[in-house]
Amino acid sequence: MASLMRMNEFGVFVSLLFTITLFSLLSKEFLTLKTWGGILTISSEVGIIAVGIAFLMISGEFDLSVSSVFAVSGMTMAMLVTSGVDATLAFIAALLVSACIGALNGFITLRFAIPSFITTLGTMMFLRGVLLAVTGGFPVKIAGEYPIFNALAGRIVSDLRVHALWFIAIASLFHIILTLTPYGNWTFATGGQADTARALGVNVTMVKFINFVLSATLAGLAGCIALARFRIVEPTAGVGLELEAIAASVIGGCSLKGGIGSIIGAAAGALMVGMIRVGLVLAGAPPYWYSGFIGVILIGAAIIYKLTRGRHIRW
Amino acid sequence: MVAGKEPLMRLVGISKRFGHVVALNKVDFEVYPGECVGLVGDNGAGKSTLAKIMIGYYQPDEGEMYFEGKRVRFKSPMDARRLGIEMVYQDLALLDTMNIWRNFFLGKELVKPVGPFKFLDRDTMRKLSAEFLRGIGIQIRSVEEPVGVLSGGERQSIAIARTVYFGAKLLILDEPTTALSFKEARKVLDLINELKGKGLGIVIISHNIYHVYEVADRFTILDRGVKVADYLYKKDVTPQDIVDIIVKRRHS
Repeated sequence: MASLMRMNEFGVFVSLLFTITLFSLLSKEFLTLKTWGGILTISSEVGIIAVGIAFLMISGEFDLSVSSVFAVSGMTMAMLVTSGVDATLAFIAALLVSACIGALNGFITLRFAIPSFITTLGTMMFLRGVLLAVTGGFPVKIAGEYPIFNALAGRIVSDLRVHALWFIAIASLFHIILTLTPYGNWTFATGGQADTARALGVNVTMVKFINFVLSATLAGLAGCIALARFRIVEPTAGVGLELEAIAASVIGGCSLKGGIGSIIGAAAGALMVGMIRVGLVLAGAPPYWYSGFIGVILIGAAIIYKLTRGRHIRW
Repeated sequence: MVAGKEPLMRLVGISKRFGHVVALNKVDFEVYPGECVGLVGDNGAGKSTLAKIMIGYYQPDEGEMYFEGKRVRFKSPMDARRLGIEMVYQDLALLDTMNIWRNFFLGKELVKPVGPFKFLDRDTMRKLSAEFLRGIGIQIRSVEEPVGVLSGGERQSIAIARTVYFGAKLLILDEPTTALSFKEARKVLDLINELKGKGLGIVIISHNIYHVYEVADRFTILDRGVKVADYLYKKDVTPQDIVDIIVKRRHS
């Protein structure tokens, strides 16, 4: 039991249990396959972003710009497709643009030793400004069918869509990288204490840089998925997503100071976000409660971590 | 006690200046295999500068260095590390947030191929780290424990053991027992004695003679960049004598 409580994901599992119990008492439809298909689908976009955010956070850095990257990526793909570029090429271009933004975040943060909170707050605001200026504030729509759209977010059955599978695959892949490869070890070490990691031969700068690129690329992927699902992208798309993804990561056991965290936990945190959205609708509660509910869960999970991790383990 | 043996490392006439400040002035220093030398002096004496020259962090302006009889020049700490010269810092030794075996192999992870990928060989790393630590007398409950829950002495011992596992021949320890309680310091001193028996050369840097007196075979005393005393074998000198030497010079 003690080792169970010390697990990184303990807080999120307790929160999941609590939320599932609550909603299944409030609504008979909550524990059905149809509902869970929907929850998984809704969780996937924030979940894919949360995987990247969590990985970067474990290496000790923040990325607030994911919400803007999400919109920039969708917008890039939409504009390229409407101007006649092949949709698959447009998708790849959107991912490349996202990766470059991540590289820029990493370069500025690491070259000038600026806190990434500041760097990415800056790029978040800058990119949002660019989006509004380029589009004049109007959404971009896509007409027509492209195979890449089905591959990204096609309907499988009922409310379950393909990107739910992408989410599960990406979360599994990065969970394996984090826990089972040397690179994962270096990521933990970099976030734990960068100077010590460096003294032991870990290339701290490279690890952080790669994780910045990773975080932005996954946010870009989520943006393309949202475009494939809705066939429209607003210049204001994704506002607030960065905080939802950070909340999901923290609920899932990531330390804001780095060095501690879990991809499975962050993914479960994202699942919680989707569950609360769907659950409130099913329970007949006004959806305005959504944000409030997440806030309560976030603080509840934080308290659980504080109480269960020993006093020696900072988080 | 070391007659007839070749020094593990020998420094001859080492000088180092930072701008107009002479940090070291023609210092000779040597350490033999199986010997522990206390490098003692007050703040600003040049102990750390000398140590950083030995590990290749600084390059001397004058003087020669020999390791196992061969002339060496280090361009970076990597050069020194390749020969088996390692420094263990008190505050940069281990990562609190990671467990013992991950700390032990950090940066030198053992991997096994899984398809085209290389995965951590966790079972082997757990087994090897546990066996090695127990083998040199470090009592640990489990290598799965996060380092953050260990005592200061255990942490210091594990940090030292790791460098030995990876082939260190000369260990330079920076104030290894300063922040430790008497009981915890005991564990580290026992380990140092164990390693001396295995033929390692050990240099302990300390500003406090009482922290090194028990375990050191010999003392080198620096003051303001100059070696003021050396070859004081322990039977010839008490800690108070050494303190007197340092203090007298300061007031002269």
